[in-house]
Amino acid sequence: MRVSAEFILLFLVMILFFVLDLLSGSVHITFSESIKAIFQPSSVDPQILSIIYQFRIPKAITAVMAGAALSVAGLQMQTVFRNPIAGPDILGISSGASLGVALFVLSAGWIFKSALLFSAMGSWGIVIAAWLGAGCMMLLVVLIASRLRDLMTVLILGILISGAILSVVSVLQYFSSESSLKSFIVWTMGSLGSTTHDQLAVLVPSVLAGLVLSFLSAKFLDAFLLGESYAKSMGMNLRMAYLLVFASTSLLAGSITAFCGPIGFVGIIVPHLARKFFRSSLHVRLIPATMMLGAVIMLTGDLLSQLPGSELTLPINSVTALLGVPMVVWIIFRSKKIGAL
Amino acid sequence: MKEKIFVGCKGVSIGYHERSSASVVVKNNLTLNAFGGEMVCLLGGNGIGKSTLLKTIAGFQLPLSGELLIHEKLVTDFSPDELAKEMSFVSTDVIRVANLTVREMVGLGRFPYTNWFGQLDAEDHRIVEEAIHQVGLSGYENRLINRISDGERQRAMVARALAQDTGIMVLDEPTAFLDISNKYEIVRILHKLAWEHGKCIIFSTHDLNTALSMADRIWLMLDDRVIDGIPEEVASGGYFESLFSNNPNLFFDQEKCDFRVRKKKMGNILLTASANDLMWASKALERLGFEIATVPGAFESFSIAVEQNDKGWSVSHAGKSVQVDSLGELCREVKKISLQF
Repeated sequence: MRVSAEFILLFLVMILFFVLDLLSGSVHITFSESIKAIFQPSSVDPQILSIIYQFRIPKAITAVMAGAALSVAGLQMQTVFRNPIAGPDILGISSGASLGVALFVLSAGWIFKSALLFSAMGSWGIVIAAWLGAGCMMLLVVLIASRLRDLMTVLILGILISGAILSVVSVLQYFSSESSLKSFIVWTMGSLGSTTHDQLAVLVPSVLAGLVLSFLSAKFLDAFLLGESYAKSMGMNLRMAYLLVFASTSLLAGSITAFCGPIGFVGIIVPHLARKFFRSSLHVRLIPATMMLGAVIMLTGDLLSQLPGSELTLPINSVTALLGVPMVVWIIFRSKKIGAL
Repeated sequence: MKEKIFVGCKGVSIGYHERSSASVVVKNNLTLNAFGGEMVCLLGGNGIGKSTLLKTIAGFQLPLSGELLIHEKLVTDFSPDELAKEMSFVSTDVIRVANLTVREMVGLGRFPYTNWFGQLDAEDHRIVEEAIHQVGLSGYENRLINRISDGERQRAMVARALAQDTGIMVLDEPTAFLDISNKYEIVRILHKLAWEHGKCIIFSTHDLNTALSMADRIWLMLDDRVIDGIPEEVASGGYFESLFSNNPNLFFDQEKCDFRVRKKKMGNILLTASANDLMWASKALERLGFEIATVPGAFESFSIAVEQNDKGWSVSHAGKSVQVDSLGELCREVKKISLQF
């Protein structure tokens, strides 16, 4: 495939924001110190080294993963449901993942009488529970969408179900023991900065696997643009296509929700920006564009959340919502009515 | 030499399966044939099952019973991929995707032939350009499909089906919502594809005039059966009369090959006019529901007499005579008189 100038530019911007993200935080670290920390670790103050290796690099990697994963999941959902404001958060995929995690954490506390949440096995357990939760919710949405043709109705039902699931999660908390509740609350406060090296070892391969699956589904997604009947008339294997998209979005949205908690709006916004900047609807171009743009947006969100110049840090979820809501409003006004991708 | 049957139905029943395993039969025991090099028009009232028949032929749903043959081979013996290389489909769905160019959309027609990532090679590109040229959209390659007119978009959809390079093309109401010029343009393109490229083209339409003047074959769907024949056979067989037999206000005018609204008989008029104005004056008066005669001996008695003179028209009825200057006023006057009947 031809790599065009836009892709190279976007890649460079992504690298730039990654470096900026390493430099920002409540402790002031200069550019030369952070470069030295990477290339000449022995010549740097061990405290700074530890901040960079234990905290900032994992956080920046998590931001890249979260941005890419949520955006690509959003892109796939918008195409498959032919709905411009579909996304993992709005259709309840993230809530499904939360329910999976809640069931796992709370029942693990009940069964093992201890919080195994922060062990390596705990990480895999959480992420698998999140995939299953996300997958079940995705299945439900596909079933609803196949029965109801109206895009708005599917959205509203998604929001309703998502609300119901979050209530179930609250009820579960009410009935759980103190120790497991504590681990669960810690999980819900998850952010980009709370991922440990152990968790990264689970998160990165999961997200990469989801991204590979999304690339494999690119041709199917193109056919979905014309709708299911055209896709079928061109000989597309519908079951295979759904399975691929299914597995990919569950892996992507589930993994991020498992380790960073629910992060809204990125999944809705970024695909639109990618379509606008890259002037294409073909997924061989849109997927890498969405991926990199998502990483840039998430790194930006992380930079903003650290409130440059102060020692305070805002929750990433609030930052994405504050940035995202006006943009969703813009999308709705621009497309006049819900319908055009 | 016997022509090759491209699409054959032998005792086919069409319909769909309800949720509760019971099947709803739309039409029973259909025997129809469509040959290579033929344009077939499927005619019938709303809700009679035209779409169901086309969807069955296109392979979206299986016949409930009977044999559906594509190139003299059972449709069930084709894999989805093989079928997509024999038959393409154009649906009534409006494609509402932004940022998709005509060339990209037509390129999606190469779906059954491209690799896993849907990349087009030189041959695919040549076929796409050729298809765009065939439908007269050269120069529109880079236009976005949501920014072109309905007629152009419909031609682009035909080009996509053309790029799929199939012997059979099935189109569900391709001329709906188009103005007369675009309607004829689409039908002309389809006719040319059938005649010059030996394709078998089957499409449904409500436009009787086009069907009767351009189709090589007509499938006329009636309540209890489907008539298969050349337009003249179907018209002379008196089958069109039974198409809307439930509507007493319609009749089929064999000479003009179209349906007309039966009007209340208003009476008869003796019309005297110059050779130039006679045709239009009698058309206008016929439209009002009158029978026209130009010689006094044609009817036993006359309701109204209209005579052209150097000042315009004189209208005489029941001994009174009124002078008017134009054809429009003449109509108004005759209408006024007819209301007294």
